[in-house]
Amino acid sequence: MSSAKTDKRGKRRASSPLFGLVIILALLATAGFFAARDFLSMRAEEPIRPSAGLTSIRPLSSYFPALAGTPGDTDVYVFKGREEGGRVLILGGTHPNEPAGYVSAVVLIENLRVDRGTIFIIPRANRSGFTHSDPQEASPQRYAIETPSGRRFFRLGSRVTNPVHQWPDPTIYVNPGGQALAGIEARNLNRAYPGRPRGNLTERVAFGVMELIRRERIGLGLDLHESAPEYPVINALVFNEAAADLAATAQMSLQDQGLDFRLEASPPNLRGLSHREWGEAAGIKAVLIETPNASHGRLKGRPSASLVVDGRDKFYVRAAGLGRLYVPFGPEGIPLRDRVARHLAGVAALLAGLADLEPENAVGISGLPDPDGIRAGGVGAFLRRPPGGRP
Amino acid sequence: MKKILLSGAALSLLLAAAAMPSAAQTALFEQPALITSAGQSADVQIASVQARKAGLRSVLIKAAGPKDLASAKTLVLVLGASLKGLGAAGLDTPKEKERVASLLAEAKAKGIPILVLHLGGEARRGDLTDEMAAAYLPAARMAIVIKSGNKDGLFTRICQAKGVPLKEIEKTLDLVEPLKQAFK
Repeated sequence: MSSAKTDKRGKRRASSPLFGLVIILALLATAGFFAARDFLSMRAEEPIRPSAGLTSIRPLSSYFPALAGTPGDTDVYVFKGREEGGRVLILGGTHPNEPAGYVSAVVLIENLRVDRGTIFIIPRANRSGFTHSDPQEASPQRYAIETPSGRRFFRLGSRVTNPVHQWPDPTIYVNPGGQALAGIEARNLNRAYPGRPRGNLTERVAFGVMELIRRERIGLGLDLHESAPEYPVINALVFNEAAADLAATAQMSLQDQGLDFRLEASPPNLRGLSHREWGEAAGIKAVLIETPNASHGRLKGRPSASLVVDGRDKFYVRAAGLGRLYVPFGPEGIPLRDRVARHLAGVAALLAGLADLEPENAVGISGLPDPDGIRAGGVGAFLRRPPGGRP
Repeated sequence: MKKILLSGAALSLLLAAAAMPSAAQTALFEQPALITSAGQSADVQIASVQARKAGLRSVLIKAAGPKDLASAKTLVLVLGASLKGLGAAGLDTPKEKERVASLLAEAKAKGIPILVLHLGGEARRGDLTDEMAAAYLPAARMAIVIKSGNKDGLFTRICQAKGVPLKEIEKTLDLVEPLKQAFK
């Protein structure tokens, strides 16, 4: 039986609305299939290739078993020196849309050797945040870094935990520090400290980090971040009271290397952040490092992977000309390699400052790329190639 | 003979002048010093670390009040406005200005000299910092600033107009020596 009829002009046309519906559904299903495949591809983790100095990799759930099997569980890379010394925790990927923090942690893991003391690195602190992008931002899912053996891709995630993993957001979020915040901040790891053992997923991750700090007797915690060029806390070391002299010492050393950093004291009334709660809850020195990232600023033009890596944006150049930014921003932009160089220089200066101020807690490291080397050779020159082949 | 005597006197004067330290080298301040901020930027922490390295007896009180000057013989005022710092200290701009004004008034009443520092360079300039520089620098006995923060000559202009000796340093690491020279 035919599903077509002949119209007044004698042309045949589809008569059944069912046929049209089938076509529409097929198109939707096809689009849905590709969108879902794209969405789910964000769950595939890019490889990290640790240096020969790695001692062990353990899950965060080894410190807080309730995280086991959840999207919040994440790898902790441990570098232990032969000699006893200080114990330092470094976090990248607290905000997965701040790529220099994540890439710096990866570069550390792939190059670091520790001779004295112990360094714990969590490159994907909010692992769930890497599995999605911020909605309506048109952010690229990935960006590529050129290496001598080809391109290596990294995910550009979201500032917050994936809503698939933690939903719904409250209207008002009161964090473990007692501060009332907008509902979406319930999924922001850097508002969730010191965490809650029976709280939401983000709070449980924060609690896991605190358990690591307590059990491993961490003395210094570093949290690697980026901020928009129009945000006043930028190119900055944000420190708690216990780390005041350390941060000042590191800032002077960085300035001596030609790297200007602002010093910003952690506000005691701004709760839930690493630089506040790590000290309050565990008594450690805490420093958060910020570099300028045009790709998550509000004044940028078209979001793109090249904006993430090259950091060039004509609207930011214009904003700088109007005096609206807190960092110089020229046509050359602020590329990822410069931001990673700043982060690693900051880490090195803080470790050197620790050795200077507290020799008993010194951490001896080697293999860390120097800032000039990264700026000249690019980040890719310090990413390890896969054994025997392509990246 | 008269010419020889005059030449000898002139030479003596020159030698005596050469032996005298310059304004920047003269110890202008006594210890202990109270180090405080004007604007609540964290640069005050650098001043404290460097004062310690210079071997000075000092106490750091970020939001010091007039009473904190009780045992101080010098007031070190570190210029640098930070809205985050002000918020953290529970202050706003009018309250901070009021606090610093009361501190300066107390220092003047007690005859305590003031050393003004600006250590944040270009990044720590801005309307509020500039306003504070214009308001507080004239009361200083000496000022030390990072060169990059004085690119537009703001500190030079104020100091020249008010006769305040100004020392420029390239970076904060260079602060130790001028501090050693400035304090007894």
